[in-house]
Amino acid sequence: MDELRNHVKEMLANGTVAAVIGYKEAGSPMRTKPVIITAPEEAILLVFNEYCLNNLAVYLTKARVKNLARVNGTIKKLGIVAKPCDVHAVIALIQESQLKREDVYIISFNCNGVVKDYGETLTGETIASKCLHCDARQPLYHDKVFGELKDLPASPDEELAKIKSFDDMTSQERFEYFKNEFDKCIKCYACRAACPMCYCTQCITDKTIPRWVESSAHGRGNFSWNLIRAFHLSARCVGCGECERACPMDIPLSLINRKMLEVAKNDFAYLSGRNLETPTLVGSFDVKDKEEFIL
Amino acid sequence: MKIGVFICHCGENIGRTVDCPRVSKAAEWFPGVVHSVDYKYMCSDPGQNMIKDAIREKGLDAIVVGSCSPHMHEKTFRKAALDAGINPFLCEMANLREHVSWVHDDIEEATQKAIDLTRMAVEKVKRNQPLATIKVPVTKRTLVIGGGIAGIQAALDVANAGYEVVLVEKEPSIGGHMSQLSETFPTLDCSQCILTPRMVEVYQHPKIKLMTYSEVEKVEGFIGNFHVTIRQKARHIDASKCTGCGLCITKCPIRKKAFNSFEEGMAYRPAVYVPFPQAVPNIPVIDETVCTYYKNGKCGVCVKVCGREAIMFDQQDKLVTEEIGAIIMATGYKLYDISKKPDDSFIKGYGEYGYGKYKDVIDGLQFERIASASGPTSGEFKRPSDGKEPKKVVFIQCVGSRDDSKGFSYCSKICCMYTAKHAMLYKHKVHDGEAYVFYMDIRSGGKMYEEFVRRAIEEDGVKYVRGRVSKVYEQNGKYIVKGEDTIAGMPVEIEADMVVLATAMIAQENASTLAQTVGIPYDKYGFFNEAHPKLRPIESTTGGIFLAGACQSPKDIPESVAMASAAAAKTMVLFGSDMLEREPVVARVNELLCGGCFYCRKVCPYSAIEVREIKDRNGVVIKEVAYVNDGLCQGCGTCTATCPSKSVELMGFTNEQIFAQIAAL
Ligand SMILES: Cc1cc2nc3c(=O)[nH]c(=O)nc-3n(C[C@H](O)[C@H](O)[C@H](O)COP(=O)(O)OP(=O)(O)OC[C@H]3O[C@@H](n4cnc5c(N)ncnc54)[C@H](O)[C@@H]3O)c2cc1C
Ligand code: SF4
Ligand code: SF4
Ligand code: SF4
Repeated sequence: MDELRNHVKEMLANGTVAAVIGYKEAGSPMRTKPVIITAPEEAILLVFNEYCLNNLAVYLTKARVKNLARVNGTIKKLGIVAKPCDVHAVIALIQESQLKREDVYIISFNCNGVVKDYGETLTGETIASKCLHCDARQPLYHDKVFGELKDLPASPDEELAKIKSFDDMTSQERFEYFKNEFDKCIKCYACRAACPMCYCTQCITDKTIPRWVESSAHGRGNFSWNLIRAFHLSARCVGCGECERACPMDIPLSLINRKMLEVAKNDFAYLSGRNLETPTLVGSFDVKDKEEFIL
Repeated sequence: MKIGVFICHCGENIGRTVDCPRVSKAAEWFPGVVHSVDYKYMCSDPGQNMIKDAIREKGLDAIVVGSCSPHMHEKTFRKAALDAGINPFLCEMANLREHVSWVHDDIEEATQKAIDLTRMAVEKVKRNQPLATIKVPVTKRTLVIGGGIAGIQAALDVANAGYEVVLVEKEPSIGGHMSQLSETFPTLDCSQCILTPRMVEVYQHPKIKLMTYSEVEKVEGFIGNFHVTIRQKARHIDASKCTGCGLCITKCPIRKKAFNSFEEGMAYRPAVYVPFPQAVPNIPVIDETVCTYYKNGKCGVCVKVCGREAIMFDQQDKLVTEEIGAIIMATGYKLYDISKKPDDSFIKGYGEYGYGKYKDVIDGLQFERIASASGPTSGEFKRPSDGKEPKKVVFIQCVGSRDDSKGFSYCSKICCMYTAKHAMLYKHKVHDGEAYVFYMDIRSGGKMYEEFVRRAIEEDGVKYVRGRVSKVYEQNGKYIVKGEDTIAGMPVEIEADMVVLATAMIAQENASTLAQTVGIPYDKYGFFNEAHPKLRPIESTTGGIFLAGACQSPKDIPESVAMASAAAAKTMVLFGSDMLEREPVVARVNELLCGGCFYCRKVCPYSAIEVREIKDRNGVVIKEVAYVNDGLCQGCGTCTATCPSKSVELMGFTNEQIFAQIAAL
């Protein structure tokens, strides 16, 4: 922890970065919240542990945060403390022209997993399900990396088992399942706010001329909202799980996201946010692409 | 907004299945409609006048015409609207013919559908914006790709009309296949003699920039405004110093390492060479693959003999960019090499004819070289294997053409004619020789063509055998040609001294790659596609790109030349105005809302989307947004479908308009 604080202090002091987005303790050592550090002496606030649940990449595209980097008519780097899985989001944002690689300073950790919920000790029971199928516990891109890898507590991948079970359902049954889930949606758009890939200046849902998505929170509108969210994130979602964590109605959004990730992985050998050199799956075409879903 | 509705009967075409008066009555009740009529022929003069009068008298702001497909008459009705003083893009059409009367039988249902479509068009037109046609400037320079007879003719015609031409030829000299031919049907005049003056004319023309040994690498832009990148391959000779004296060629010690492709592999050429004596330009090329200097840095004989210090071993390829308004494709054809089955091909080859195995089984171009006074045998009939005069020659037509199972389904069109020519040329020189032609049909359509073939048969005594050859094999120094005479209904066997195969004319090497570089479609054989097989045979489907000669399909010289002149005329039509007018149906980005993800840019098939930087007052980039280049955008709408935040819209087809149409249903 001292290493992190000292490093950030130095980077701010020597002007390498204009600000650093990181985590600080929130009322208990087993809970954190995001903090933006701009003065070297504030670096002491930073923490990194298994309670750093937020994906801070979501802040990188916010105008107020971007403004911090604009100092005296030049653009400085923004620092970000990012778990290796959050680095995927940073990379995906760079691929989608939201950032330039040289404008972010990635401070990452060799990651030993995070908990599902604040206040719990990290065990096989309490570990976040995304950690169970993590393919990059060491950051794929970074400017500074801390920490040592330890064994992860093991546990079966129930999420995968669940999405596999959908394959055996009839489409009617699947529809019923999601209809019941979507019925709970209150259209608070917390999922959208938490998603690092939902950076549009104006979301299609907020458009009124014409209105694409019914705004009231009833079945039809809820369906269009949740399906549009899913479509717009297919092969773009980096699997951080922040939407599901943000959802006050406990809608299992990760099931949809995970299914889409599996399709992109199995059918197109594509994982989003892993490689700055490869083109994004959406918007690139290869004659060898599978086409069986085209009717 | 006051809207007028005009329902057309199209004679009986619509009127038979759609109750037009009822549609027009129903339209009277649509909100916004102040005038609704039906008429027998809206596109006729009285029909158009009805529209114009109504616009003027009732003060209409917009009109809907329920008639045929917009492909047919949108221009007509927009023009009528314009004449009467309203913006032409405030005219919408409901397609009551192709979408209704021609595809339905039930009058009741068809009428109902016609009413629905009209209502949709009314709802759309309410949201139409007046648009102005887009004007783009035209660069009045033509690029001709390929310097065969077609390319030469096109270049000369355009240049003589006063426009600049860039002629790009991949070989060291222009001339193409015609320069290899001996004499030409149907007049038997010497090919070189009629071609060479034209080649020289190209070379000396002040308006033609000739780039030989060059290839087109990249084509960007659009009709009237292409940016073309051309690779000038290193000749290793300084063209500005070389006088074409040819000393290097005569003195080069490497004499037998490379086949002469102009002589179709029947002779050798040195490491430094011009393809043929009349080459234009008469500047040699050093072949790096055989020149000793590139192996061990030694030799350099050419450097010593060249009095002009023109040899440049270290010369590199050069990339040149040219601003071009129109492109003429004239890359010609090649002959199907039947000795081997091409990799990756559906063609099976003709191993049974022994081409590539027996030296005296040759193809048509090799025969041309043997018959040519400037060829490897100085025009004397000597067969390749032992230089003896062949006394019996068998010609086999349709090798690879008209053969679904092993070759190409199409007819190569010129082989009947050149085979008759070959047999004739042979008989003219070898009076005691015998010539046999195996044919499927004789196709000799064309001025003086049938007469030409009759002459071969009747005056020169060429023996025509109708039937196919199954096998050619060697026996006691003779080639046994086994075939069938289908007229006599019996097998035939001929002991020949030489066999000439009229192999199929196929698409040029890498034609499909070039088509992709330039951005034009091609058929399954690799020939370039015309925009319409009957009415637009010269244009490709891409604006400003025209086709000439055998790159479009097999052709003889007169046809290639005619097509070349037609292509030249098409470019002159284009150059006739300073500005091109385009429909304003292009995409527009809402820069306030665009999130700058550039998915639109990734999917745009016409590379019409650019990046625009939005800066603060200090000049620091705040964000990047998409920007549509009007000149390039073809209005396909792919970007609008892709944009996740719907920040890019197609003018004339905005989401709002389309939603309104759907909602009206
Ligand atoms: C054996 C034989 C005999 C024939 N005899 C006759 C006859 O007697 N009378 C008659 O009317 N017709 C005859 N023809 C047909 C005649 O050859 C063609 O009609 C004519 O050559 C077509 O001209 P072209 O300019 O379209 O193509 P080509 O002559 O093939 O010229 C194409 C040119 O484009 C160049 N090129 C190709 N690709 C590129 C590229 N990517 N970039 C730049 N340049 C490129 C080539 O090097 C070539 O110079 C004969 C054909 C054959 C095979
Ligand atoms: S967070 Fe949950 S409740 Fe809120 S909009 Fe998203 S899915 Fe609906
Ligand atoms: S409408 Fe088509 S051509 Fe025009 S910018 Fe969009 S994608 Fe490109
Ligand atoms: S897809 Fe839409 S949001 Fe993205 S860059 Fe294009 S116009 Fe802008």
